[in-house]
Order: sequence, then C-alpha cells, then structure tokens
Amino acid sequence: MRTDLLWVLIASVMLPTGWALAAEPSAETREADGRTLYLTFQCWQCHGYEGQGGAAPRLAAKDYTYEAFARFVRHPNVMPAYPVELLSDAELRRILDFVLAIPDPPPLEDTPLLDGESGSAR
Amino acid sequence: MLMGGAVKKTTSGDGLNRREFLSGAAAAGMAAAALPAPKTAAAATAPPSEAQLAREFEVPAGYSEGEAQEYFVAHPGSDFMFDVIRGLNFDYITTNPGSSFRGLHESIVNYGGNRQPELITCTHEEQAVAMAHGYAKVAGKPLAMLAHGTVGFQHAAMAVYNAWCDRVPVVILGGNHYDATERRSGVEWAHSAQDAAVVLRDYLKWDDAPQSLQHFSESLVRAYRIAMTPPMGPVAVMLDGHLQEADVGSRIPAIPRLTVPVPPIGDTAALTEAARWLVDAEAPVIVADRMAHDQTGMQRLVRLAEILQAPVVNLRGRLNFPTTHYLSQGRSEIDRADLILGLELNDPWGVVNRMRDRVHRSARRTARADARLISIGVGDLFLKSNYQNFQRYFSPDINISGDAQATLPALIDAVEQRMSRARRRLNADRERHYRAAHTKRRESALDAARYAWNASPVSTARLYMELWNQVRDKDWAMVSEDRQQSSWGRRLWPMEKHYQYIGGSGGAGIGYGAPAAVGAALAHRAEGRLAINVQRDGDMLYVPGAFWTAAHHRIPLLTVTHNNRGYHQEFMHLQRMASRRRRGLAGSSWIGNALRDPAPDLAKIAAGMGCWSAGPISEPGDLAPALSRALDVIANGEPAFIDVVCQPR
Repeated sequence: MRTDLLWVLIASVMLPTGWALAAEPSAETREADGRTLYLTFQCWQCHGYEGQGGAAPRLAAKDYTYEAFARFVRHPNVMPAYPVELLSDAELRRILDFVLAIPDPPPLEDTPLLDGESGSAR
Repeated sequence: MLMGGAVKKTTSGDGLNRREFLSGAAAAGMAAAALPAPKTAAAATAPPSEAQLAREFEVPAGYSEGEAQEYFVAHPGSDFMFDVIRGLNFDYITTNPGSSFRGLHESIVNYGGNRQPELITCTHEEQAVAMAHGYAKVAGKPLAMLAHGTVGFQHAAMAVYNAWCDRVPVVILGGNHYDATERRSGVEWAHSAQDAAVVLRDYLKWDDAPQSLQHFSESLVRAYRIAMTPPMGPVAVMLDGHLQEADVGSRIPAIPRLTVPVPPIGDTAALTEAARWLVDAEAPVIVADRMAHDQTGMQRLVRLAEILQAPVVNLRGRLNFPTTHYLSQGRSEIDRADLILGLELNDPWGVVNRMRDRVHRSARRTARADARLISIGVGDLFLKSNYQNFQRYFSPDINISGDAQATLPALIDAVEQRMSRARRRLNADRERHYRAAHTKRRESALDAARYAWNASPVSTARLYMELWNQVRDKDWAMVSEDRQQSSWGRRLWPMEKHYQYIGGSGGAGIGYGAPAAVGAALAHRAEGRLAINVQRDGDMLYVPGAFWTAAHHRIPLLTVTHNNRGYHQEFMHLQRMASRRRRGLAGSSWIGNALRDPAPDLAKIAAGMGCWSAGPISEPGDLAPALSRALDVIANGEPAFIDVVCQPR
C-alpha cells in the first residue's frame, strides 16, 4: 500500500515533466508534424506537395534560416501574409523542419528524360 | 439546282452568279497574301443531274398542282443559303441540331451531301463555338457554327466571348422566326426573338438579320470578310425560318464576290522613326502577343530579332517565336530594356506595370523609368465598350496602327537601312550574351523539372516530359495552354512551328479547353499531325461531350489530364481572402473549390463518350506504358484519353 502510494506521488510529480519531455519530439516527428501543417495551412497549393514550386517559388533544397523563412511568411511581397495569431511561431518552425528535410531530387544525369536534348538553342 | 436550265438565270442587284462568285473568291484570296484564302470549290459548282431536275420540277404523280404546292417545295431558300455557305469554303459546320434551322440542316445533308462543309455534331453550343475557335487558330480560316438564335446563342455566349477576346474569326449562323404570324404555337415562339443576336452583340464584330435571300447572301459574304479582317473576331448572321423553308421563286438571288482586304500596314514615316529608335537603343526588347497568324509571321519576327540581336519575349497569345532560338528570353528582359517593341499586345500597360494584389491596390512600374514603348497592332481599330477586355489605358511613345505581321517587312527594311557598320559590330557581343542567357534558362528549367520528379501525385514537369518522350519523333502540336502547368510545355519542349502552340481561351472562360482542343485536332487531322491536349479537370466538366464528338467524328486527339481535383486557381484566391481577414487559413479553402468526395472519374466519363481511356494514374512510373497504348489508339485515327492525378501546378 505504501508502495502504491509512493508511485502515485511519483507519478503526480513526473507526469507534467513527462509531457514536457514529450513536447520535444524527434526530428522525424517534427518533419511529420511539419508536413501535416504544410498541408493543413495550404502551403502546397502554390508551392506543391513536395515544395517543388508551381504558382509560387520552389521551397525545397533551400537553406532557409527560421528568421528568413518567417519574414517571407509574415511579411510577404506577393503571397498572402500568415499572421502569428493564425499560424504560430511553433507551427511555422515545424513547417520549416519539413521544408528543410525534403530530400534532394535525383540528379539530372540520373533522369534520362531530362537529358537536355530537347529545346536546346539553335 | 439554281444553275439548272429549267429556271431562268437572272441576278439581282450588282452581284454575280455563283460560278462568277467562286472564281472571284479565289482571286481575292490570292490578293490577301497574309491571310488564308478561301479555296475554289469546284465540287460546289457541279450542276444537278437530269434526274434531280426532273424531280424538282415535276408535280409528283397522284397530286394535283395545288396539292403539290401545299406538300412540296422545289427550290427551298435554304438550298440557296447552302450555296452561299459552300462558296465561302467552310470545311465544317459545328452544330447542335435545332428546329429553327431545320431547313438549312436538311439542305446541308441532302442538297449538299454533307460535304464541304460537313456537319460536326456537338452536344452543346458552347462546345460548337469553342471547336470553331480552336480550329481557326490552326487552319487559319473560320468554321461556321449553326445554332438556335435564342437558346442556342444563350448557350454559346461564353465561348463567343472567348473568341472575341482571342481575336479569332467564327461565323455564327442562328435560326429564328421573324414573322410572328407564321410561327407555330409553343416552342417556335419560345425560340424566336425580335433581336436574337443581342445576347452576343457586345462581343461580336458584326451581325445582321437578313430579310430576304439576297440580303442573306450579301450579309454572309460581308460577315466573312469582317471576321477575317484584322482584328479578327466572331460574327453572326440570322437565318429566318420562312426564308429557309419557302421556295426561292423564279428570281435567283445573286451571290456577291468575296474580297478579303489586305491587312492594314503601319505608316511608313512612323516605321522609319521606330526603326531609328530600335537601332539606336542600347537594350531593346521585342514583346509579342497575338502577333503571328502563321509560320510566315514567326519567320519575320526571327529576321527582325536577329538583325537587331534583340531578345524576344513571347507572351501567351500565340507562338510568335521559336522557343529554341537563343533570342527567346524571359520577362525579366522587359525590366532591363530601354526600348520595348510591342507587337499586338493585349495589355501594353501590364507589360511595363504591375498591380499588386493587396487590400489597397497599388500599381508600380516594373520597366525602367526611362524605357520607351513602340506599339504596332490593330487593337485600337475595333473596340467595344461594355466588356473591359481592352485593358488599362496606356500611351505608347510611338503608336502604330497596323497588323503587326503584315507590317514587319516594312519595319525590317527600315531597320536594315539604318544599321551602320558600327552598329552591326555590337551584334556579336549581344549574340554571345543571349546565347549564354538562353542556355542558362534552359539549364534552369531542366533543373527545376527535377523537383518532385518521382512524387505521387505526378508532377506537372514529369507529365510533360513523359509525354515528350513519346511524341518527340512525331509531327506533334499542342492544342492546350500550359500556363496552369507552370508553362512546362514552352519551357521544356522545342516549339518551332506556329501550329505547335495556339495560346489560350482569350477571355479566361472555363469550358474552352476540351472543345477547342477537339476543334484544333480536327484541323490537324487534315495535316496528319498528332494533336496533344493537356486537359484540366475543372474545364473538362463543363462540356465533356466534346470527347463524344471526337469519338463520333474519328478525330485523333491525345488527351492527358492535369487533374488536381479542384478549381485550383480559386483555392488560392480563397486562401488570399482568408489571410487578409485573418481567419480560416487552415483548410477552409476546400469548400466550394474541391472536386473530391467523390472525385469525378474522368477516365470513365471519357470512356462513356466513346473514347479509349486509362486512369486515374497517380504514379509517374505508370505513365509511359499508358501513353504508349494511347498512341496506338491514335494511330488508328481515334481519340485517346488518360486521366493523370497531378500536383497542383
């Protein structure tokens, strides 16, 4: 009984700490969360599901700092502004985690269809 | 019939008989060198056989003459209408059938034998006009489109607006019943109007409601001439029901001679001054929009650009310049230029300025403050007031009214005369610079295409290059616009022939894509070319019956969809509005825009229209085998359709 009580006491002290530890997820988790947020906040609409660009510039394979990324998102020139009250800094950091983790595409030499033969200057 | 000996051959007015008209049309076509000429239509002049004549003028056995007059008509007015139509050398008439033109319908089928022109059955009038729109941009001459003047014109309206904005000739024929005392009760009244063309008039170059057959023949020839005179555009002529169905009588109307005007050419003095500016400019750029009517226009522009070693920015209206030429450059050249030569620009203001999409709209000049602009074009020669597709007012520094393609030879001459030896020496450096810049642009496009290469849904770059890999050795022609696919077609494919890219809808009216592609493919069929349509999903759902028309008339067309399962442009607009209002950013933009739950099965729709189809395909590796199978179908003269689920842009 005393042991059980002890465990209850320990748990009551540790649980909040445990939750705090859980808020520091692994890089994989952060990327996965970031992808979810990237989709939820509709970044894909203009930048593509893989950050390849489309109606807006490519995000993949860029070395953004958080500060630069936040500047683009909060105070953009062309795209809609995403205010902090709707997209928190923490959420934005997760999105950046995902963007920075997008794997590089295959090199041109491994992509036969992009052999550069078509459309070359004459 | 009308040339038969049983009826006295008289003409009214100053016109010519049909034979004279046809030979005149050919001569006029040769005179209008820059415009496509109607061909002689020898088949149209074949006299009727003895048996035909006997049938036409005999009272049928078992009938009194009075009865025969009640039951039968020997020389229906619509036969004469057909003679006028055939004389204008329309290859096809697109139509959705309707009772208000049943007389002409019957004449086309039984009097004309459904050839030259042949009826193309459409499932919607919007489709019928858009097919004519796509056809004309490839063939260089209009189709006729036949519709009810009331409900048909209402259906057709958006497509007519697109043709108007895109400066494309379409000759529209509308059935109507003008004499109220002749109308049958019910539908014939509902399908009649005092002024049927009013629903289209804001975006027609001209229309008329002829009250006699003579009036009809003069108005149709006039309409054709107006449609083909730059700036080209759609026209409409009404077909009165009584005129179609009643007997012509003994007095044969005349058919006037067609003379399409030589396109207007810019003023010589103004061109001399323009040439001086172009030669003296340090950084000239040529910007072309709806300029080239055909390959000759492209060749002329290449010549001018090479003499000056000036970069060319090809806007989306037409393929004016080969994408493979080293002087083919991007829009950033406009911002660097000290002199801009605009050729048939739809929006000169927008070439040198940009309006920001913010709460408070503000414009800023993107071109250099000291940049001057020379404009050559026919845009000011024909405008209407209500619809605002003429864009914001802008004052060019030299404003030359004239068809740009027709004017280029004079400008080239003036530039060559002005080119000094010292000026020519500058060209080597310019050529070196632009060759390097073109190579860099090319490498940049290839590099950009790598991203999301293996992604599912399929990237639009992968879609285009899988397609390219299968068609590269064929005589291909793209019949869709690639802007919504990050312009990959023009960025990655070598486009050197005018017919390989025909621009977009003009008025941005959705529903143009599928039928215009089928119409363009119809024109390419005659040349044995492979027509390729990258079809947007939202557009397809407007008039999917276009694919039935392709199947029914054996029009080979390779369609692959850019299926992003939504009205994607509107996704982005809704997101922008939500951002401004600081609400609903996370996900609300699906509402009203998504084409999911259920996702329309586009391959099944196409199959239901009689097309071979495959898909939906989401994995890029599945594309090549499907395309290979589709090309086998195309080789047999049939349309083929592959639904590809793609990245948004």
